[in-house]
Amino acid sequence: MMVPVRCFTCGNVVGEHWEEFKARSREGDEDPEMVLDELGIDRYCCRRMLVSHKDLVDIVSPYQ
Amino acid sequence: MDEEYDVEFIEREERSAKFLVRGVTPAFANGIRRAMIADVPTLAIDEVRFIENSSVMFDEQIALRLGLVPLSTPPNEFDEDDVVTLSLDVSGPATAYSGDIVSSDEMVQPAEENVPIIDLKDGQRLELEADAVLSTGKDHAKHQGGVSVGYRHLQRVETVGDRGEFEDVDPEIYRGVIQEGDELVDTEEFDHDLTNRYPDQEVAVEDVEHAFVFSVETDGSMSVEELFTRAVESLDARAAELEDAVSL
Ligand SMILES: [Zn+2]
Repeated sequence: MMVPVRCFTCGNVVGEHWEEFKARSREGDEDPEMVLDELGIDRYCCRRMLVSHKDLVDIVSPYQ
Repeated sequence: MDEEYDVEFIEREERSAKFLVRGVTPAFANGIRRAMIADVPTLAIDEVRFIENSSVMFDEQIALRLGLVPLSTPPNEFDEDDVVTLSLDVSGPATAYSGDIVSSDEMVQPAEENVPIIDLKDGQRLELEADAVLSTGKDHAKHQGGVSVGYRHLQRVETVGDRGEFEDVDPEIYRGVIQEGDELVDTEEFDHDLTNRYPDQEVAVEDVEHAFVFSVETDGSMSVEELFTRAVESLDARAAELEDAVSL
């Protein structure tokens, strides 16, 4: 629903990068690989946290 | 251990570092690694009292997210039973961030300001009070100060002769730090492949006894140096405790 605060595997805090990652690679047209490199998310366990995430609050909230 | 051990930094930032420790046994190196992961206490939110939560998430889910936000933990200021009260009050439409958490203690602040806790829509509101407690990684991963803590042997590289001119060259991958004479070289400099550094020479690689290269990252609750020194202190304290327990 909301982006996970930490990486499930290594425990690194990744949530803080979500909004920038989303703005640049999902809504913008930058290459996700380059954005992750620039954000300093090096390990693939942490990278998949952002690559595979989808915000669901907007989808769920009408049924509250 | 009677001898002094010797620490040399290779890479040093606030939250991540690579350093060489000489004069320790493999068992002691591993002891430090384990202490950094499981035995150095940090503060984290452990109990949350909800005053209002009309968001799309359950109280428990929000409490979990709050717990995972790292809090700065000053050394030797807090004891195991101390409680720091924090509060959060955000009304929608807005997103509640970790930076919105208000702490009652100036020394204890969220280490990260931009972690989204919950997205609030029009008319939704989140108001809560939380207690942060001091505990170790053994108890819960949210109290784990060290993230991806590891060590490798320092490796000595020596040239032992020329490579045959028409020989096929296979990559020789080493990750970590190598020692050439008295100099330390991070393998990143030559893309972890020794054949890039010595294209025409045969090399011999061997582990340097009692020398370990640690790479340590922290979650932001304290600096790498602090985490390391406190891990060593915790080993020290347990050794003293054992000595006390077995002495007559
Ligand atoms: Zn990770």
